[in-house]
Amino acid sequence: MKRTLALLSLVTVLAATGVTAGCGADAEPSAEAVSLLVAGTPDELAAYRALAAAYEQAYPGTSVDLIEASSAKDLMTRVSTSIAGNAAPDLFLINYRNFGQFATKGALAPMTARLAAAGGSLHEQDFYPQAMGAFRWRGEQMCLPQNISSLAVYYNRSLFTKYQVAEPVAGWHWNDMVATAQALTRDAGGQTVKAGEPEAAGVPVAVHGLGVTPELIRLAPLIWSNGGDIVDDPAAPTRLTLDTPAARQVIQDFLELPKIGVVPSDVEVETQDLEARFAAGKLAMFVSSRRVTTAFRAITGFEWDVAPLPQYRSPANILHSDAYCMTKASTRQNAAWHFLEYALSDPGATLMAKTGRTVPSRTSVATSSAFLSPGTSPARSQIFLDTIPALRPVPTISTWPEIEDATGKILENAFYHGDPLDKVIADLDAATRPIFQRGTAAR
Amino acid sequence: MNRDRRQLVLMLMPYLVGLVVLVLLPAAATMAMAFTETDLIATSRFLGAANFVELTTDPAVQAAVGNSLSYLMFSVPLRLVIAVGLALLLHRRARGSGTARAAVLLPGAVPELAYGLMWLWLLNPIQGPVNQFLLLGGEGGRTALGTLPPQWLTDPEDARAGIVLMSLFTIGETFVIVLTARLALPPEAYELAELEGARAGQVLRRVTLPLLAPVLAVLVLRDTLMSLQASFVPTLVVTNGGPPPYATTYLSLVLYQDAFEYLRYGYAAAVAALMLGLTAVAVLIQWRLLRRWASHGIVGAGAQRPGN
Repeated sequence: MKRTLALLSLVTVLAATGVTAGCGADAEPSAEAVSLLVAGTPDELAAYRALAAAYEQAYPGTSVDLIEASSAKDLMTRVSTSIAGNAAPDLFLINYRNFGQFATKGALAPMTARLAAAGGSLHEQDFYPQAMGAFRWRGEQMCLPQNISSLAVYYNRSLFTKYQVAEPVAGWHWNDMVATAQALTRDAGGQTVKAGEPEAAGVPVAVHGLGVTPELIRLAPLIWSNGGDIVDDPAAPTRLTLDTPAARQVIQDFLELPKIGVVPSDVEVETQDLEARFAAGKLAMFVSSRRVTTAFRAITGFEWDVAPLPQYRSPANILHSDAYCMTKASTRQNAAWHFLEYALSDPGATLMAKTGRTVPSRTSVATSSAFLSPGTSPARSQIFLDTIPALRPVPTISTWPEIEDATGKILENAFYHGDPLDKVIADLDAATRPIFQRGTAAR
Repeated sequence: MNRDRRQLVLMLMPYLVGLVVLVLLPAAATMAMAFTETDLIATSRFLGAANFVELTTDPAVQAAVGNSLSYLMFSVPLRLVIAVGLALLLHRRARGSGTARAAVLLPGAVPELAYGLMWLWLLNPIQGPVNQFLLLGGEGGRTALGTLPPQWLTDPEDARAGIVLMSLFTIGETFVIVLTARLALPPEAYELAELEGARAGQVLRRVTLPLLAPVLAVLVLRDTLMSLQASFVPTLVVTNGGPPPYATTYLSLVLYQDAFEYLRYGYAAAVAALMLGLTAVAVLIQWRLLRRWASHGIVGAGAQRPGN
């Protein structure tokens, strides 16, 4: 018995020593080490690795511990659990639609004072105000935007040329886009396929005219363009306002798309998603943000470009922006800020812009050749900058991710299965009211 | 305490410590969390029974309870029947039986995520091998029977069937246990049955199944306990809870989304409590049924070995 006890004690002591030694090794980073949590595609992650390497090279003795999450949702999980475990990253990159959850809980370190400090290399006026505004929480600048993207229509220029269809122009109307999509929806023989016409019955579509996901963030800019709004009070929303005439018209038009037959069915989308369909030449137009550009630059089979989002009454677009946020629990906030100064400087932002994935939030880089990249697709990158004055953010409320998920389910069902408009609007309202009620708004 | 008993306690200690530290304490903490608003960032706030009240009106939870119970109803018996069938088929030494046993075990050895991704491809509605196979002999996109192939990822019923289908191939553990139990059955019982001229069906009904019954009862209870969690990875990877709104949303997925996507750990803990309650009820019902059957001599201790 004594021998057994002695053995157990020895094992315990050895284990404890090993654990302590292991912790010791991790607990002594260099003075300028900083941890950065990011999520993204392999291309995006490669760009962050390059940024970290460039920073370490520019400032010898510093190091960036890049923590890679597989998706935006995975990133949110990691942030919350790491804060709970007293192991928060110094910085993390998050979309403004998700940052409210952390801002409302006081998990972020405000950057207003650092930004205003004399002698600093980052200034508020260096960035587009639309992006800066999206990351303000109760008067404080909580995060600094890395990009300022929006929706655009990616189009297969080769198909437009082949079928002699006019390319989209600025100011085109939603109906113009639908007509264009109809003209480009073709069977394998190149003949147009019009849903509902007897000769189209049973004819498989080889190329669909349009690809767009049924989501609230796709509908929002169209509703704004038509003079409506998606919530009752953008500063402190309590409910969706999709029952107004302006919003109803947009939703009705949107839900008509599958009936017209210009978009792939749910079965076709499950077989091959919209992004892959466009890259394979099976979609003539695809509504997306700048994030797909990097992947589309690998397309070799056809020419493609981007066009502005269609409008109803006036130009409108939706802000897509990610920002670097600093955690309040970070013990290396000075080092984190130092990294931010580099990441958002001209050289740092240029590095990210060259990936094609982002529209830089820094005005000097956005208007430079690093982003506009003459000779590289898309040729009309300028449209991402032209639309900036018309950008609007979705409301900043802590429960916004839940609202997007809840509305997404209802809209997807309605889009592919043709639910009546009144039921869709009522369901959207009923599903989101309790979520708005639980949320905390930025005001 | 004598020497043997002390040694027993010492040997049990690592397991008991693990059980308390890794299972019982976290379970107790989760149950306590169910009465709070917890996001792991700000200080928790006591809510009383509010989370449980919200469970009763949450459409995702309501759909998930129905889906979880239907999964349990189909998946548990089917898995057991297939595992028992294969174990009885492969318990004899025969050419290729080793390979066949390995084939039954193999899917269970594949990491869950990889297994889910593989099924995402298998169930692809147009290009997937499952539907390609079903379309053999058919024309115009229909099966040989003239029906449309299942729309695994877009039709609610087909999607739920797909999730059950995925569970039917990860029966390795159950198969091994039944196989081992079958190999341990006394050969005299079969010799006696043969002498008495029993046919194969009679041997199965009167000898094999009654003797295996105690093991099968434990396996049913175990599979029931596991089934509410087992649907998690397939739904997360393959269907993401859809087709919308909640066709394949199971309680485990609701729990995951509330906790890790919406940072509502308190509410997710209430969902966990609901899962625990449902599991306890299901196990209790099965336990009572098994005891009743045992008292009638159908299963377990009441079942008599032939020749005794």
